[in-house]
Amino acid sequence: MPFAAMGIAAIQAGLRAGEFSAREVADAALARVRETDGAVHAFLEVTGSLAHEAADRVDAAIAAGSFDELGSLAGIPIGFKDNMNLAGTHTTCASRMLESYVSPYTATCVRKTLDAGAIPIGKTNMDEFAFGSSTESSAFGVTRNPWDLDRVPGGSSGGSAAAVAAGMVPVALGSDTGGSIRQPACFCGVVGVKPTYGLVSRYGIVAFGSSLDQVGPITRTVRDAAMALNVLTGRDERDCTSQECTVDFTANLNAGVAGMRIGIVPAFLQARGLAPEVKAKVEETAAQLQALGAHVVEVALPNAQKAMSAYYVLGPCEAFSNLTRFDGVRYGYCDPGHEDLGSQYEASRAVGFGPEARRRIMLGSYLLSSGVYDRYYYPAQQVRTLVTRDYARAFQQCDCILAPVVPTAAWRFGEKSDPTSMYLADMFTVSINLAGNGGMSVPVGFGADSGLPVGVQLIVPAFRDENMLRVAAAIESAIGQRGLSPLVESKGAVSFGLRGDAR
Amino acid sequence: MERHVTERDVRRIAEYVRIALAEDEIPQMTADLNAIIEGLRPITEYDLDGVEPTFHPIGDLSNVMRADAERPSFTQAEALANAPKQQDGSFLIPRILGGDDA
Repeated sequence: MPFAAMGIAAIQAGLRAGEFSAREVADAALARVRETDGAVHAFLEVTGSLAHEAADRVDAAIAAGSFDELGSLAGIPIGFKDNMNLAGTHTTCASRMLESYVSPYTATCVRKTLDAGAIPIGKTNMDEFAFGSSTESSAFGVTRNPWDLDRVPGGSSGGSAAAVAAGMVPVALGSDTGGSIRQPACFCGVVGVKPTYGLVSRYGIVAFGSSLDQVGPITRTVRDAAMALNVLTGRDERDCTSQECTVDFTANLNAGVAGMRIGIVPAFLQARGLAPEVKAKVEETAAQLQALGAHVVEVALPNAQKAMSAYYVLGPCEAFSNLTRFDGVRYGYCDPGHEDLGSQYEASRAVGFGPEARRRIMLGSYLLSSGVYDRYYYPAQQVRTLVTRDYARAFQQCDCILAPVVPTAAWRFGEKSDPTSMYLADMFTVSINLAGNGGMSVPVGFGADSGLPVGVQLIVPAFRDENMLRVAAAIESAIGQRGLSPLVESKGAVSFGLRGDAR
Repeated sequence: MERHVTERDVRRIAEYVRIALAEDEIPQMTADLNAIIEGLRPITEYDLDGVEPTFHPIGDLSNVMRADAERPSFTQAEALANAPKQQDGSFLIPRILGGDDA
């Protein structure tokens, strides 16, 4: 098996059997990045020496016979979205504002994966400050979809999804405020999990919408996502929203769906703008789950439409508030030559922030201003109550909701230049962030019309994330082994120094 | 389409959020904001009487306290490492007092 196709189990089996060393795994990932990332541009920074240091620790443990004590990501290459602090690396949020910022500390989610033995390969591209659904707003160039280099990888965690799809790393972390893990995972044909709000600490992630943000894994298999989630979850006193978690997310992956109740939202499948090929995939998946013994029931989310406008009020408001910290004094871009502090602030923020960031800051400030607040912000928080109630009611009738992730497959670069048309791509994902429950995207093959990857979304009540992984695992095994992206297949035969390949 | 914000409003907001907009950027920003705000119109039209707001997804949990104990933190050098300008162990900023209008 070429490195590019290996998941966690295959890499760790090879390490245990002495077929290759962790150093060779790190080198294989780094070679893969060199080989493919010129075309894809998933990474903003590659952390070769950190990768080698981590790999050498794994090899030392193997030599000492203590591999099993390392942790469940031992020897696994991993990428981190560039809004996640890793001490000694740049954490730019794909913004000029943070172009020269070097993290003085490490985010909890990053720390946990490294403590579990993961090998850090680098920091992945994203929409600037996570504002977008295509990774086109990165100040450092777009990321390309490995399935079709003329198309976007989705966003905002587009670099993480593309890196996994192109076989550079088996695991990458993303963050999801309104779909930013699930949507790029869907576009790139990989698995993306937005855990329940509170399951994973956000300490050390550059905040976008603090009542919405959540960190999660992007992988090629459901089992790898579950293994990563096992490492990521848990209480962190540095994020007051994080909760204790004792669930083993791999425990019931093989339990099947017999007897489970799967909810379908008829209004979602009739939504304007939903591509027929996406609708067909959701319906096929429902039929498959039914054939596997699940009960498919219809549920209603009557306020889902309202969730869209609520999200596009709350997101900018929270972003405006979070982005006030960028003053160009303590860190970040500082415009030179100003004789008073006010004009230094104004010029630094004007030059440092890109167009979408500036728009959202301006919009958030307007929406929170006196007199306007009651017209938009307060009703948006009332809508949030309705959306949360909708889910509570729906989950009395089902264990897991099956829905589209995105209305269409990946679009071409520049196809959606109007910001409001791109917003519509979030119609099936944002309500989950508003309510705070868990959602994930699982690939289900290729659209009949576009030939591009299509995923379905699984949604569960808060803190029942193990149930969506269980359903996802059943879907994955029903569909069988997916093909790798063309980029992987065309270059996958190349040996990157893994002795296993050479044989 | 209703004009929610004027160019004058946009200048005022830009000043408030400390983002210098060039004069030739004002019309486009005004148009963009008006288009986006118009897209948010539905939120102003829903019947939400008597619905309590939810400001946070985790609203019904009790507070967690910890001992107010001293713990390791950044050194001064670490805290200053990313400062664009520094002097004598401090962040350096242009004057905020004095000058012509003092």
